[in-house]
Amino acid sequence: MTGSVVAGIGWVTANGPGRGREAREFSMTSGPIPPVNREDVFPEPNLRFGRLPQYSRLGLAAVAFALRDAGMEHWKTKRPAGIVASTRAGCLQTDIEYYNTVLPEGGGLPSPNLFSSTLPTCFLGEAAIQFGLTGPTLIVDDPAEDALSGVRMALESLSWGECGTMLAGHIDLPPAPAFRGIRLRHSGALFLVLESARIPAGPGYGTLDLSEEGAVRHEGIEVAGLNTLVRACLAHPRSS
Amino acid sequence: MAERRACLNEVLITAMASVTGLGPDLDTTWRRLLAGETAVRPIARFDAGRYPARVASWVEGLESRGNRSLLYPLLERLLDGFGPLPPGCRLVTATTKGCIDTFERVRKGLPGDVADIPVSGPLTWLASRLGLNDPGVNINGACASSTMAVARAAAMIESGRADAVLVVCMDLVSEFVFSGFSSLQALDPAGCRPFDRSRSGLSLGEGGAALLMMNPAAARRRGIPGIGSVAGWGAANDATHVTAPARDGCGLIQAVRRAMAKASIGPDDIAAINAHGTGTVYNDAMESTAFEAVFGSRRIPLNSIKGAIGHTLGAAGGIEVAVGMRSLTERTLPPTAGFHEPMEKCVFSVSPFPQAIDGIYLMSTNSGFGGINAAIILKRDPE
Repeated sequence: MTGSVVAGIGWVTANGPGRGREAREFSMTSGPIPPVNREDVFPEPNLRFGRLPQYSRLGLAAVAFALRDAGMEHWKTKRPAGIVASTRAGCLQTDIEYYNTVLPEGGGLPSPNLFSSTLPTCFLGEAAIQFGLTGPTLIVDDPAEDALSGVRMALESLSWGECGTMLAGHIDLPPAPAFRGIRLRHSGALFLVLESARIPAGPGYGTLDLSEEGAVRHEGIEVAGLNTLVRACLAHPRSS
Repeated sequence: MAERRACLNEVLITAMASVTGLGPDLDTTWRRLLAGETAVRPIARFDAGRYPARVASWVEGLESRGNRSLLYPLLERLLDGFGPLPPGCRLVTATTKGCIDTFERVRKGLPGDVADIPVSGPLTWLASRLGLNDPGVNINGACASSTMAVARAAAMIESGRADAVLVVCMDLVSEFVFSGFSSLQALDPAGCRPFDRSRSGLSLGEGGAALLMMNPAAARRRGIPGIGSVAGWGAANDATHVTAPARDGCGLIQAVRRAMAKASIGPDDIAAINAHGTGTVYNDAMESTAFEAVFGSRRIPLNSIKGAIGHTLGAAGGIEVAVGMRSLTERTLPPTAGFHEPMEKCVFSVSPFPQAIDGIYLMSTNSGFGGINAAIILKRDPE
């Protein structure tokens, strides 16, 4: 299978926001996620960001950091890059906030603004608008513990020639106490900018591909999960 | 590892099933679609009295067992008699809100298993019910979820990553979703009227579809005949607005062109279109604009089945692939229920009656929140 180059990495985890070229360490645990504010992500006022629920802010912020890390944040014409992210709980926290407005004790006036964010894909639309991305955008719900399904699917899409660039990652926001039975191993959002090896790439974090059995490999070595993958990328020799 | 194929662009559909408001199986849905019937009727699932629109297409007789989601009896009905599946078959599902009724119960303080709320709940149940080792993945691409799931399955087979993939798509009518579309003033109180001049919104629906897709060589070895094939697929984001379609149809145009390129065909080869056709003013206008940009003024037969079965969200594309494949084999495009008078500037042939299909390719498209657009091209065997 043709490999793909990791051109950028961005995240928001329990430890706060980060991106590859500014970090040497990475850990995505199940801890609570600090609120993400516009000033953390965009230096200029942003019409939409402040209206978004926390799940969408989280995803949009991680996409922004990944593109910034890859030197691809700014654009003039739309570009055919796709986004795929795995999740376990999706936008459950936004669902809770929206449904509170539906219930009589919550006012019984359903919020159209919140409803429009009650799909786990909605932040992908926000990212597509913000950064002019016109490739396929989708969320993959996955019972697997490794949180690599989004990366796996993106690598497939790149090798099948569906796009030349894909943002791939994982997103999960710990839900409210009533839903504590839903166990998350990875809280926060992380995205990698992957470019087809057919595209001449700048300095990156190494090459990813899939084994015949579908395991994600960094520089030919299988990685067990998202944390291992990102740490391998950060340890890869590169020029900044 | 699945068999690597030298010949690309051929992915068989070997089995299909559906459950819709019109009936518990594809035959019943097909027969009632052809008769121009609609399953959009007053909601009995929850008290819709406080909403201006009070109709939807829902599946009769689903009963919750042990406080579990209605999704499970829907899936039981869908899979009744379906199979057996080939060894090594992979599972790809599509749903937007999964066990949303369980979520509602828990929020109301009623008993419900929170483990069903992440989509991994029904996914794991399905894998167990079907005897599959791998629970598979669910694809959420908003209202294009199952179109994208079919595309994914086709790409997996085409590339040799799988010999057989079962696509299962599903979504329920719920107050959660109903109230949301109501708050957006997107529901037509009279029932949706796709591509009609007086259309004023969508009707929600529920249902499911199961599509078994196979590599032709693997199907032949097992003596499984094909019904037809998935010849092309494409997806694109219009990067314009989160809840409204791009008025120039740029995302859908791209998705359709990608699908035709994949199928190695041109606009003149498409014999019929199953449109998303939700019945909202903006969606139907956007689709008409996009199709005209691709197909010019050729009067291609076009329909939407959402006037008959409602908008089944994550299940819509899968049900429409099943009905579309049936349309090709029967050479008949079902009527567009609710349609009476053509909308302005629509050059395509929309009809409240069945239309003949003269050709071997049918295109099915869906679009959704977040700017997502997807297209599938189905093919029947030429004779």
